[in-house]
Amino acid sequence: MNAGPTLAADLLYREAELLDERRWSDWLELFLPDAEYWVPAWRDEDHPTSDPRAELSLIYYANRGGLEDRVWRVQSRRSVASMVLPRTQHTITNIRVADGSGPDLLKLKSNWTTQQFLPKEKVVEVYFGHQEHEWRRVDGTWRIARKKVVLLNDYLNAKLDFYSL
Amino acid sequence: MLAEELGGYVVDEPGQGVFAVHRDVYRDPAIFELEMRYIFERTWVFLGIEDQIAQPHDYLSTWIGRQPVLVMRNGEGQVGAFLNSCPHRGAILTQRERGNARIHVCAYHAWSFDSSGRCASIKDRKDGCYSEAFDRQSHDLVPVARFGSYRGLMFGSLSEDVPPLEDYLGETRFFLDLILDQSPHGIELLPGSSTYTYNGNWKLQLDNALDAYHLTSVHPSFMKIVKQRQSGESQNALATIDFAAYRQRGGFTFDHGHAAVWTRNPLPHIRPLYPLLDELRQRVGEKRASLMLDTRNLVIFPNVQFAENASLQLRVLRPLAVDRTEMRSYVIAPKGEPPEARELRLRQFEDFFNSSGLATPDDTTCYEDCQTGYRARNIAWTQGYARGMTSVQAGANEYAREFGITPATSQYGDVAIQDETVFHSGYREWRRLMVKGAMDDAAKRAAAQGGVQ
Repeated sequence: MNAGPTLAADLLYREAELLDERRWSDWLELFLPDAEYWVPAWRDEDHPTSDPRAELSLIYYANRGGLEDRVWRVQSRRSVASMVLPRTQHTITNIRVADGSGPDLLKLKSNWTTQQFLPKEKVVEVYFGHQEHEWRRVDGTWRIARKKVVLLNDYLNAKLDFYSL
Repeated sequence: MLAEELGGYVVDEPGQGVFAVHRDVYRDPAIFELEMRYIFERTWVFLGIEDQIAQPHDYLSTWIGRQPVLVMRNGEGQVGAFLNSCPHRGAILTQRERGNARIHVCAYHAWSFDSSGRCASIKDRKDGCYSEAFDRQSHDLVPVARFGSYRGLMFGSLSEDVPPLEDYLGETRFFLDLILDQSPHGIELLPGSSTYTYNGNWKLQLDNALDAYHLTSVHPSFMKIVKQRQSGESQNALATIDFAAYRQRGGFTFDHGHAAVWTRNPLPHIRPLYPLLDELRQRVGEKRASLMLDTRNLVIFPNVQFAENASLQLRVLRPLAVDRTEMRSYVIAPKGEPPEARELRLRQFEDFFNSSGLATPDDTTCYEDCQTGYRARNIAWTQGYARGMTSVQAGANEYAREFGITPATSQYGDVAIQDETVFHSGYREWRRLMVKGAMDDAAKRAAAQGGVQ
């Protein structure tokens, strides 16, 4: 039995590690320039929104530029909401390889939980949901071509940003 | 609490150049309790838009202050609002926020009600050995005291002692019409919402929507990102509002606590509405079409705001406690707009208005910082209502006359003024309702004591 981490887990844990360690340049570098990043909103109790072109999302970017804006903002010291960041811990579980994967394409589904402590407010928050990643091997390196994060607890405490997802 | 005491929390002496609000109105749980009774339960409160319940038997469950409300469209298409509480044991009748139901069956003992609020059946009534006294009672749902709709914007009041809705909205209807007329087919709320809470008083949100002063200090990261997008430094090509391009700003206050700020938009082409300009000009005229492309924030006291900068936001606030508020934020769109315009509208909305966006979290953080700062009880008064004091005039200015409206006050000038007098109307109405509520209660107590003696 193979006791080592699988490729799928390795990639997802790596992304989680970069977020938790606030290595955001390295995290951005995981994404291909035309990577889609999507966090749907909820249309009712049971259904997340399904069409980012006609319905509200919590976050939607058709390319990496939107994530770069966010990383810039957090590092800019010009955003009071980003002045004291939560200490995050991402936990990734239930990793499945989805249909359509190939030698240079890995479609993954997984569950995620972020537990975070807000040092300013002195409170603990938990966000959780499931996610889909599309990883492509480009020049021998696995990069994210698409990421969709479904946040299950969308009644937010004041704010939510990429580092908590 | 005595009427004089409540009245003393707002000092309003325009002749002396003084307007001040006591910090206890943001931090005292006893005052919050009275706000729920004297304000939220005694004036018009926004409920939703009729388009949310477009079909017969559609319903929407919502709140007036702390009280649960069920808004229903009946089989004939008429809309009514009822307290969402079974007459029998009090359970709410809805499990979901929205849906369609010809009959609402209470989950507890299965009393049922039609979409007009009439009691349709009482389970096992025949065998229930009820008294005649019970049979003489109404078992229907209790309607709110007043329900009204202004062109599909639904309001309810738990008190009968309110002016007609059209009078209550008054001159704000000019601004509401600028929203409601953006499409010949009317407006709609797009699916999905951004819903969040913050640990701060509800009036912090009420003020902030009118607060021009905070833009350059709270949103410099947003403003800089907009510049980086314009220059191509950012790979995100989104066109959106640029506060740095503004030169002149105006503000109006109205009776009943409402107020609006508006700014001539030097970048009208960034508005999703822009592709509709030809149709708008033909239908509403050159002047109103141009105004629609300007940017505006409108506050209807006490719980609804229409924020129009690039996209158009409906923001409904619900006070949960003296230091906790719930926000529901929806995208308003003209029905039938082109798909590219709709996509732009959504991206602009998410970018600025979402609690997961690049601007609102900075506002919300400041509200929470204020609430924490209010724990400094040795400080009685705020100094946040003074800017613009010498730039404001009673009644209409030239712009009000151009719009054909008669506001309570008008203000216009360089954006650097960053006027704060536009907050005054909300606190004037706050004081009026709180004093009136206390006096009404005192009169009731006196009458009751008279009856006993």
